[in-house]
Amino acid sequence: MMAFRRKIKTLKSQKEEWIRHNQQESEEEQNKELEALSSDVFENETVLKSTFSDCPDVIFRRFLIGNESKALLIYTEGLANIEELDKNVLSPLMQQDTARLTDIQAILEQKLSVSKVNPVNTIKQAIQEISSGNPVILIDQQTHGITLGLAKWEKRAIEEPVAESVVRGPRDGFTETLSVNITLLRRKIKSPNLKMKSLTVGRYSQTQIVYMYIEGIVDHHLLDEVHNRLSRIDIDGVLESGYIEEFIEDYPFSPFPQILNTERPDVAASSLLEGRVVIIVDGTPFVLIAPTTLYSLFQASEDYYQRFMIGTLIRWLRYIFILIALLLPSSYVAILTYHQEMLPTTLLLSVAQSREQVPFPALIEAIIMELTFEAIREAGIRLPKQVGSAVSIVGALVIGQAAVSSGLVSAPMVMVVAITGIASFAIPRYNASTAIRMLRFPMMVAAGTLGLLGIMLGILTIIVHLNTVRSFGVPYLSSLAPMKGEEMKDVLIRAPWWSLRKRPRLTGYSNTNRQPEGQKPDPLKGTE
Amino acid sequence: MLERGKISALQMAFMMNPTILATGLLLVPAITAKTAKQDLWLSPIWASFVGFIIVFIAYRLHKLYPNETIFEYSEQILGKIPGKILGVVFVFFYFHITGIIVREYGEFVSVTFLHHTPMVVVFAVMVLVSSMAVYGGLEVIGRCSEMIVPVLLVLYLSIFIMLFKDLDTKNFFPMLENGLGPSFKGSVVLQSWFSEFILVSFFFPYLSNRDKGMKWGMISVLSVMVYMVLTNIMSLLLFGKLTASLTYPVMVAARYISIADFLGHLEVIVMAIWVAGTFVKITVFYYALVLGTAQLLKLSDFRPIILPVGFLLILLGVWSAPNLQELSHFLSTSAAFYFLSIQVGIPVMLLIIALIKKKRKQMKGSVTG
Repeated sequence: MMAFRRKIKTLKSQKEEWIRHNQQESEEEQNKELEALSSDVFENETVLKSTFSDCPDVIFRRFLIGNESKALLIYTEGLANIEELDKNVLSPLMQQDTARLTDIQAILEQKLSVSKVNPVNTIKQAIQEISSGNPVILIDQQTHGITLGLAKWEKRAIEEPVAESVVRGPRDGFTETLSVNITLLRRKIKSPNLKMKSLTVGRYSQTQIVYMYIEGIVDHHLLDEVHNRLSRIDIDGVLESGYIEEFIEDYPFSPFPQILNTERPDVAASSLLEGRVVIIVDGTPFVLIAPTTLYSLFQASEDYYQRFMIGTLIRWLRYIFILIALLLPSSYVAILTYHQEMLPTTLLLSVAQSREQVPFPALIEAIIMELTFEAIREAGIRLPKQVGSAVSIVGALVIGQAAVSSGLVSAPMVMVVAITGIASFAIPRYNASTAIRMLRFPMMVAAGTLGLLGIMLGILTIIVHLNTVRSFGVPYLSSLAPMKGEEMKDVLIRAPWWSLRKRPRLTGYSNTNRQPEGQKPDPLKGTE
Repeated sequence: MLERGKISALQMAFMMNPTILATGLLLVPAITAKTAKQDLWLSPIWASFVGFIIVFIAYRLHKLYPNETIFEYSEQILGKIPGKILGVVFVFFYFHITGIIVREYGEFVSVTFLHHTPMVVVFAVMVLVSSMAVYGGLEVIGRCSEMIVPVLLVLYLSIFIMLFKDLDTKNFFPMLENGLGPSFKGSVVLQSWFSEFILVSFFFPYLSNRDKGMKWGMISVLSVMVYMVLTNIMSLLLFGKLTASLTYPVMVAARYISIADFLGHLEVIVMAIWVAGTFVKITVFYYALVLGTAQLLKLSDFRPIILPVGFLLILLGVWSAPNLQELSHFLSTSAAFYFLSIQVGIPVMLLIIALIKKKRKQMKGSVTG
């Protein structure tokens, strides 16, 4: 026993030593990187070359400024605009005949016809700039380098968002490029109050993350919270905003998304105007919006572009279909298993007739069918488009018709599953509809074991859970519970724009008025 | 403080409403009809006075000790040892009454819907869901009831409206056949329901708008009274003298509804209302019990004792009565005095002693000052 303990002890101390050693090593490395640039350009070159060893895409180009002073250009192939670099940087510098232009300031002011230029002081900075595509120039006898904002790479054009399509509304969507996404938002909100702060997350990926807000509308406590949560993230790489979402949400074990994501600049802009914070992650068209409430997951941007009556009606249609998506299969199971008397006699007879041959109890039948449906849906998304049609044929023919005619599944069950599927597609946000679809299964089990009581308890559990969840301090069911009369205008109905006077109250009270009173249109206005 | 959350006075009113009504709606008409006969609709009005008085007393006590619940100020009023004893009495009382509520709920569900499911299962799932809400704290309970209760109240009214064509106003008569006496007698049992309003003393310290606590407390009593009167009128006009012999008149009433031959058997709505209402009721009692126990034992957090208390509640649900008849008998006879003496008698006593103490202090202060 003692020997065992001693062994563990030595192992522990070894481990600690190893960790310490590693830390020292990484610290040394960091120190080396943090080192200021040396005045000897070739020394810098050796350091950088050793850092970028086995990186053939990083090009080192030695040249002379005015035939005399040595200089070094470093850039990453494919990430820098080489044409511009040749025309506006290399040729003016190399064709310089007097060698006196060794002062960086003078070079910047007189020779470089590039608009975005920044000084570089440390090796680490130089490495970062080179990796993100900006060419760096180092000059002999100078302890500063210059970075040129000439990063350029192949990017996707602005296209219509695929995940959120509209009949009426702007058709531009975010792309994978951060700067383009910022531009898209800046185009919508042209005020200088649109502020943004930038962070870099990901030890290897060095992903740039920008959060945007409107000064004067946003609550500063919220802003601090967003900043703190973002800066706490320590991960090796960020490839999509989903990574960030999971790191900063409030209740990681909730099925409901607590942060909205959108591909649409207009949705992001309207959230900014409501005092929310928009988080843009480089490399993905999906932008995060926080804080989020449940009802905003059930709203589409088009609700606000159509006439308000239609907007209200569609909104209610959606609410009803959300309930159907959640409750229809479980209600069917509960009624068939426990409460047959609830059905009118004729309906009961026809259901019983079609179930006569079915060998499974209603619960098993429902779970089999719902699982099959989910599988078909998932297959339809993942499969290459050419094969996709095969899935729908198999789904419709084999599962729809053949299963019913062979008596394995009853026809009403197929209808229930179909309606539920359609209903879940009526939810505009994909991740919200996933949450509802997921909760359908525990609800079915509850219905199969306790009947309608089980459904009722399931609903109560969901309500309790939703009331517990907060998104960045904002109650998830906010404006319904805690109830805020004024904001119900945007939940129960979609009130006309001239009456949506107040912004929703999220965390703070600052600047709540959207627009002045008395803007209801009236033909007699302005005549008296 | 154990509870950091704040609720609004409106949320408190929404919480208290089903806390009284949920079990009341189903049992009250039959119980009051036994003594009050056709005047049963008057009884809730008389009984509601107890509710108004209790809210008033709780509010006065709250004014004297603004940041404390009844468990904390009873120690201040009576002194350490008697205060603790009173606290123990209250904890056991709340254990018992919550057990009874859980039992009432279980009886209803297993008699009307799930005949074959063991009652313990029915208890356990409900207590589990309630414990989730209690775990969330007062704010979560407040917000849940704010969401659930308005829907319940509207649904309940809709039952009343759908029954309208079956109501027979002749059943009102002979009105006051034997004077006001029978309706007073019928109100005695109801008073025990209204005395449950003493629970507001748990919520007053956590109100965000304390000045409105009294107002919304009173409105809550009023709404309970109105709904009870409506329920009693509904069962009286529908069943007449039969009301007394039914166990759950409202349930039977819902079976009457049939609209366009399709919408029948609406007792499901009643069940939904009842389960949701009972959920709020059990949660509120459960919360008061857990909070009170934690305050009595001077715990730093009430969350660790939620599940153990919930387990005891399930057991108490089983133990509280051998069957529904015994339970109903207990509720309509001795329970009234039991509930009233603890939920009305003790607070009144506390208030009187507190006022005397305050007077003495003032007199002392004026003598020395």
